[in-house]
Amino acid sequence: MAQSQSTATSARDVVEPSSDETEFVFFSGKGGVGKSTVSCATATWLADNDYETLLVTTDPAPNLSDIFGQDIGHEVTAIDGVGNLSAIEIDPDTAAEEYRQETIEPMRELLGEEEIQTVEEQLNSPCVEEIAAFDNFVDFMDSPEYDVVVFDTAPTGHTIRLMELPSDWNAELEKGGSTCIGPAASMEDKKQDYERAIDTLQDDERTSFAFVGKPEDSSIDEVERSASDLADLGIESQLLVLNGYLPESVCDDPFFEGKRADEQAVVERAREEFDADATATYPLQPGEIAGLDLLADVGGVLYDGREATVDVGAATDAEETGRVDADGAVDFDSMADPNAVVDQLTPGEETQYLFFTGKGGVGKSTIASTAATKLAEAGHETLVVTTDPAAHLEDIFGEPVGHEPTSVGRENLDAARIDQEKALAEYREQVLDHVTEMYADKEDTQIDVDAAIANVEEELESPCAEEMAALEKFVSYFDEDGYDVVVFDTAPTGHTLRLLELPSDWKGFMDLGSLTKGAAPAKGDQYDEVIETMKDPERSTFAFVMYPEYTPMMEAYRAAADLEDQVGIETSLVVANYLLPEEYGDNAFFANRRAQQARYLEEIRDRFDAPLMSAPLRQDEPIGLDELSAFGEEITGLADITEADAPEVTPS
Amino acid sequence: MTELTLYEEAMCCSTGVCGPDPDDELVEVSAALDQLEDAFDDLEVTRANMQHNIDQFLETQWIYDRVQEDGPSILPITVVDDEIVAEGEYLSYDELTAAIDESPAPQEA
Repeated sequence: MAQSQSTATSARDVVEPSSDETEFVFFSGKGGVGKSTVSCATATWLADNDYETLLVTTDPAPNLSDIFGQDIGHEVTAIDGVGNLSAIEIDPDTAAEEYRQETIEPMRELLGEEEIQTVEEQLNSPCVEEIAAFDNFVDFMDSPEYDVVVFDTAPTGHTIRLMELPSDWNAELEKGGSTCIGPAASMEDKKQDYERAIDTLQDDERTSFAFVGKPEDSSIDEVERSASDLADLGIESQLLVLNGYLPESVCDDPFFEGKRADEQAVVERAREEFDADATATYPLQPGEIAGLDLLADVGGVLYDGREATVDVGAATDAEETGRVDADGAVDFDSMADPNAVVDQLTPGEETQYLFFTGKGGVGKSTIASTAATKLAEAGHETLVVTTDPAAHLEDIFGEPVGHEPTSVGRENLDAARIDQEKALAEYREQVLDHVTEMYADKEDTQIDVDAAIANVEEELESPCAEEMAALEKFVSYFDEDGYDVVVFDTAPTGHTLRLLELPSDWKGFMDLGSLTKGAAPAKGDQYDEVIETMKDPERSTFAFVMYPEYTPMMEAYRAAADLEDQVGIETSLVVANYLLPEEYGDNAFFANRRAQQARYLEEIRDRFDAPLMSAPLRQDEPIGLDELSAFGEEITGLADITEADAPEVTPS
Repeated sequence: MTELTLYEEAMCCSTGVCGPDPDDELVEVSAALDQLEDAFDDLEVTRANMQHNIDQFLETQWIYDRVQEDGPSILPITVVDDEIVAEGEYLSYDELTAAIDESPAPQEA
């Protein structure tokens, strides 16, 4: 396999411009893996190597300003202390809003305020946001004044597929087809720009796709999924950066030695399995990576093959929070709220719904499964459901978990997962039955029923159908009888819930609009009921899972705000996962890391008006009921859930 | 050549297959239009909905006036060769066939 020197050389080859034309480097990866750090370091390294460089971030909660220690904002700004480097922060929400307003503007002449509002809501879709986001890429992909443009995010396979549609648009437009993506006419104007952008993305001489991940199996799996999605579109992944491995020098007890060994095994596996031209790694630092010195260190390691400098003495303002004593010990427990957590978790007389939500990699499946296990132990009939296709409840419980609820080896505890393919098949069948039946009632028509049904079948191939199918199944779990509590691993986002809410809006709009379409979709009432249940804090608890670092915290915060703004659901719990345990890592490095976690815990408590549940970092993920039960003892409140047969004390 | 144009209200998805339940009317009209295109050699079918094709409403003055006057409840408007053949409702396949055969057809309200 490649030696570290040659690996560094080829990482350099990937990002360094090779011709006179502007070249583009995209960094892809989940929040919290250090994508911004790596992008900033790469842009700085390129600028230091005399390339005129522009760094573009489209992160909704950008932290380039913290990293470079200067305000940046949405104008191209020269970076102090680095010649040749400029940066810009684009707010994707603003971009999406501008796009929406541009679309709606011409309709104002013809439509009333209420109708405009409905159109606005329809445009408030992930699809529209993807188009707006892609526009941001397209705008900067015509930047002849720069040698290289570094993007700290990249279009996904899904977005590119969506934007590839221009070639099909003409055909679609003729029959007024389903461009679920907004005003086809206005997109027509940009058709050529889009096509050129996609050509450039697929040209590996001019464009480099790089992935940033953590040395964890789930992170690598995620990277592999996204990469294979891009590969289907003829885009090759050229560089993999594994960020944040534990440095050997600081792992001096079995807990962290074990963790480090696991990480190194993952790095090995990624080097062997991941089909990138180059792989590079950078260690975890005791504090956050900011400032030109540390960025230069990252760039030097990734692209010049230098050794990383880990200065454990670089103490953070550890004692500021007041939660850290002189030995660097942090009292995480004092920050959690066990009584309030128990209140939120204990089911009342009606079935309780408990949602654990958060970005991938924050450990929500494990937390949800652990909570479910402890609820069952307290005698509550419990169902745990995952709606996340990437989650593996069967691995966590060590028992098969299917589309329909089945026991996972103890009384009171069942589990289920949404099988996307089965859900889609069920949805298709339901729609096709419906359409067939509809035509069966109309005998005196010359319509070719088979062709009509074939048409609908074709329409069911859309991503929209997949989303609807998953929602259908999600809603059906609310009808499962006999449970005191249903625990969801992964809640729908604000956007998906809007989709659920829409049927009732459609009805209102249809009444206003076309007289003939007054009939509400039959599902409307059922959906309304589910939404009402989810909005009722007596019956539903939304818990956001995150770990105490900047990006994961901000992502959770934004998702929580979305839920509240769009559907009116308030967050009732926050779960801080992966807290560094007190008993291991007795050195300055981990003291600094713990102090950093404590700072973010404080910030989480400030931002979220909800009780805090804390969960420690473990050497291994718990597997099977015994380990889940033991893990539950270490999470705030889970050991104290009120027993099912205990007298009801809450007045209602 | 005969031109058949449907002016429709703002909607996300004119095929009707988008949402918890398919929209029967839209499914029917989509199938009908497809079949019409096959059945008539020189028929050109266009669908314009206010969300995606607002330009067509703004550029077609008499349709614009019609919507201004009666509000969007006048939609959908079915036009065959510049003659309105239906307002406020979708026509069935049989009705559309008749309208094309008789084109230019008398206006129906």
